[in-house]
Amino acid sequence: MSFYISTLLVYFFVDALLAWALNMQFGWGGIPNFALIMFQAAGAYAAAVVSLGPDTGAGAFQRYVFGSSLPFPLPLVVATLAGGLLALIVGSFSLRRIRRDYQAAILLIVSLIVTGLVTNVVGLVNGSNGLTGVPRPLSGVLSRLTYDGYQWAYAAWTAVIAAAVYLLVARLGSSPWGRALRAVRDNEDAAATIGLNPVSLRLQAFVIGGMICGLSGGLLAEFLASWSPAAWGYAETFAVFTAIILGGVGNTWGVVLGTLLVQVIFLQVPTFLPQVGYTGLIDALQWVLIGSLWLVCLAIRPRGLIPARRPVVSREARR
Amino acid sequence: MTVGGPAVTAGGPAVTAGPVLAVSEVTVRFGGVVAVRDASLELREKEVVGLIGPNGAGKSSLIGALGGQIPVTRGRVLLGGADITAAPPHRRARLGLCRTFQLTSTFDDLTVFENLLVAALGADGSRLRSSLAGGRARQARVAAAMDSVWDRLTEFDMAEVANLYGSELSGGQRRLVEIMRCLMRSPRVLLLDEPMVGVAPHLVERIQGECQRIRDSGVSIIIVEHALEVVQAICDRVVVMASGSVVAQATYAEAMSSGAVREAYFA
Amino acid sequence: MLFIQALGFGVITASLIAIGAMGFTIQFGLTNVLNISYAGIMTAGAFAAFIAEELHLPLVLGVVLALTVGAGVTWLLGRTLFAFFARRGAGLFEMVMVTLAVNLILQFGIDAASREQIYRFAFPQGTSLHGGPFTVTVTQLVLIVVAVAVFAGLELLLRRTRLGKALRAMAAEPRLARTCGIPTGRIVNVVWLLSGALAGLAGLAYVINSLSIDASVGTGFLPLVLAAAILGRAGSTRGAVLAALALGVVTEEVAAFGGAAYGSVAGFGILALVLLTRPAAVAGQAAGKVEVTV
Repeated sequence: MSFYISTLLVYFFVDALLAWALNMQFGWGGIPNFALIMFQAAGAYAAAVVSLGPDTGAGAFQRYVFGSSLPFPLPLVVATLAGGLLALIVGSFSLRRIRRDYQAAILLIVSLIVTGLVTNVVGLVNGSNGLTGVPRPLSGVLSRLTYDGYQWAYAAWTAVIAAAVYLLVARLGSSPWGRALRAVRDNEDAAATIGLNPVSLRLQAFVIGGMICGLSGGLLAEFLASWSPAAWGYAETFAVFTAIILGGVGNTWGVVLGTLLVQVIFLQVPTFLPQVGYTGLIDALQWVLIGSLWLVCLAIRPRGLIPARRPVVSREARR
Repeated sequence: MTVGGPAVTAGGPAVTAGPVLAVSEVTVRFGGVVAVRDASLELREKEVVGLIGPNGAGKSSLIGALGGQIPVTRGRVLLGGADITAAPPHRRARLGLCRTFQLTSTFDDLTVFENLLVAALGADGSRLRSSLAGGRARQARVAAAMDSVWDRLTEFDMAEVANLYGSELSGGQRRLVEIMRCLMRSPRVLLLDEPMVGVAPHLVERIQGECQRIRDSGVSIIIVEHALEVVQAICDRVVVMASGSVVAQATYAEAMSSGAVREAYFA
Repeated sequence: MLFIQALGFGVITASLIAIGAMGFTIQFGLTNVLNISYAGIMTAGAFAAFIAEELHLPLVLGVVLALTVGAGVTWLLGRTLFAFFARRGAGLFEMVMVTLAVNLILQFGIDAASREQIYRFAFPQGTSLHGGPFTVTVTQLVLIVVAVAVFAGLELLLRRTRLGKALRAMAAEPRLARTCGIPTGRIVNVVWLLSGALAGLAGLAYVINSLSIDASVGTGFLPLVLAAAILGRAGSTRGAVLAALALGVVTEEVAAFGGAAYGSVAGFGILALVLLTRPAAVAGQAAGKVEVTV
C-alpha cells in the first residue's frame, strides 16, 4: 500500500510538471502543443543515456548513444536541456504565424515522425525495446534505505522539484512577460503593433515549457529505471490536455487539480485494481474514457473547474 | 491642392525638420492584384489626415503597408526619416507607429487595465529576464506603468471598466480601449482603420473629440473613414484614393469640390 | 530497377491514398474542419469488413458493410456531436480538439473490442500478373480500378449534377448559399454520408493491401490522406488524386531505398511541409475568417 501511494505521488508530481508546461504553452501562449509528450520523452531518454554506462556495441543487450555514467544530479540537468533544445528546434519552424488547427496538426505529425525515427533507428535509444537498467540516483549513497524508503525519498525529491517549478511558473504567470504572452495569444497583430514580438515570446514559452517537460521525463525515467516508446504514444499528450481543460486552462492551481483528477485518480488508480476482462482491457478503455471526459469538459465547462482568475485592480489598493 | 500625389519633399511648417511619415511611391501587390499603385503622401506633425475613397480603393491595403502587416512590393516608407519599409510591425511600434484594426482588436481575455498595462510596459518592460529576476528597479517600473494606466483611464473617463475583460465591453468601449492602448506607447503616428464601424453614435462623437485631443497633444493621425461627416469634422487634410491610386490630396472642402474626386467616387 | 518497381508500388499506394483523400477533401472542403476522427472511421470500416469475413459472409457484403459503417458513423457524428459544438460557436481549433477526442474513443474503443491484437486479413489476392518490370496481383489491380472509378463517379457528381454544383457553391460561399435557397441541410447530410463511405472504403482497401488489421491502421494512414487532401487544395478531388499520386510514389521510393519506416516518415514530413507552406494556413486574424460549416 505504501508502495502504491509513493508511486502515485511521484506520478502526480511528474505529471503536474507536464501540466504546468502545457498551461504555459497552450493556456498562456495559445500554442496547441499536440506533441507535448515528445519533450518529456526527450528528457527521459537524455537522462537515461547519460546515466547508463556505455553500451557494449553491436549485438549488445541494448544499444544507445552516449552512455556517460554521469552521477546525480547531472542527468536531470541534461534532461532539462534536452527538452529545451528539442523545443528550440521544433519551435523554430512551427511557431510562425499560422492557423491554430494547422499548427496543432503539424505538431502532432512531428511527434509521429519522431516516434517513427526513434523506433527505427535502433542504435539511437534501442528502438521499440527501449532502455532498461537506468541507474537510480544516489542508490549507492542511500543504500541503507529499504526499497520502500527509497520510494518515499524519491517522492519527496520530486515534491521539492515540483515546488521549485511551481514558484517559477507562478512568478512568470503574474509577471509582465506572462501578460505579454497572453496578449500575443489573444491577438497577435494587436500585440505586434504595441511593440511585442509574437514569435520570440512564443518561442520563449515553448522552450521553457520544453525544459520543464524534459525535467519531468528525466525524473520519471530515473524512477522507472527504464523508458521506451510505449511510454509516450501520441495519446499521452491528450491526457495532459484533458487534465488542464478539466482543471482550468490558464490557472496554475487549476491544472494541478486537473492533474490530480485525471492523471492520478482517473488513469493510475485503475491499474492497481484487480484485472477485469482480458489483460489490457482497462488500459484501452482508459483512453476511451479520456476522450469522453474531454468531450464532456468541452461541452459543459470549457473553462474548467478552477478557471483563470480575473486580476482585479483598484487605485486605492495601491496607495 | 494637388492631384495625383505630390513628390516627396520636406515641405510643411518651417518649425519641424520634415514630415513625420513619408510614403514614397508605394506599390502593394498580392495574389496577382495590385491593391495600391505608386501611392505617395506625407503626414506632418499635429495633423489628422483622412484617407477616403470608394470601396476597394486600396485604403486598408495602404494602411496595412504602413503598419507592416502587408509587405510593400515597391516604394519606401519613412518614419521620422528612418526607413521602415521592411520593418516588422513590432519594430515600427518601437519607432513610434501604432495602428488600430477594422475588426476591433482588444485583448479579449485580458482586462481593460491589463490591455493598457501591457502596452505601457511594452517589449522592454516585458522581458523574460526582468520578469524572472525582478528586483526593485523592475517593481518601480511596473508601478510607474500602472500609474500611467490609471491616469489614462481617468483621462478617458473609463476607470470604472478597468477590471472588465475585453470581451465584456461594448463595441465603442473596445474601440476606445484600442485607441488608448496605442496611446500608452506615446506614438508619433497613429493609424486608425475605420474606427467608427459598429460604434454607437454618441461614442462616435466621443471618439471624434478624442482624436482631436490626441492630435493637439502632438500625435499625427491617419484615419480611414467612410462617414464623410466625421472626415469633415476632424480632418485637416484628406487623401483620396481610387482603384489603388492616390487621386487627390487637399482639404476636405477642396477635395469635395474637385471634379476629379467626384469622378473617382462615382466612376 | 528498384526505382521502376517502386513506381508500380507507388501507384498502388497512391490509389489507396486517393480514395481516402477524395473522401476527406469533399468533407474538409465544405466543413473546413480537420476531422481527425476520419482515421477512426477508416479503421471502423475495415473492421466491419473483417468481421464479415470472419463470419464467412460473402465478399460483397463485407464491402457494403465497410461503406455503410463508414457512412453511418460519420453521419451520426456529424449530425449530433459536431453539429452540437458548431452551434455553440466552436472555432476551427476547438472542432479539431473535438474530432481528436472522438478519434481517441473510436481508436481505443476498437482496440479494446479487438483485444488489442493485430489480425491477419485473409482477402483473396488473385494471381500475380507480370507486365515488364512490374508485378501486381489481381486484387491490387482491382484497387487501382476502384480508385479510378471513385474519381470518375465524384467528377460526375460534382460537375454534372445539381447536387454537385450546389455542394461546390456551398463549399465556396456557405452563407451566400444559404440565402440563395440551396438546400444546405441536405447537402451537409450527403457530404457526411459520402465522405464517410469513402473513408470506410479507404480503410478496407488499406488492409486488403497490407493483409493485416489492427485498431491503429486508420491513425497510421491518416497523415498521408491528410497530406494529399491539403496538398491538392481543400475540396478539389482532382487535386487530391494528383497529390495522392505524388505522395504514393515518393513514399514508396523512399521505402524502397531506405526501409519501410522511412517511407512513412517521408510521408509525414511532406504533410508537415505542406501545412507550413500552404497560404491558407498562413492567414491569420487580419485575413478573412474561415468558418465551420457543419
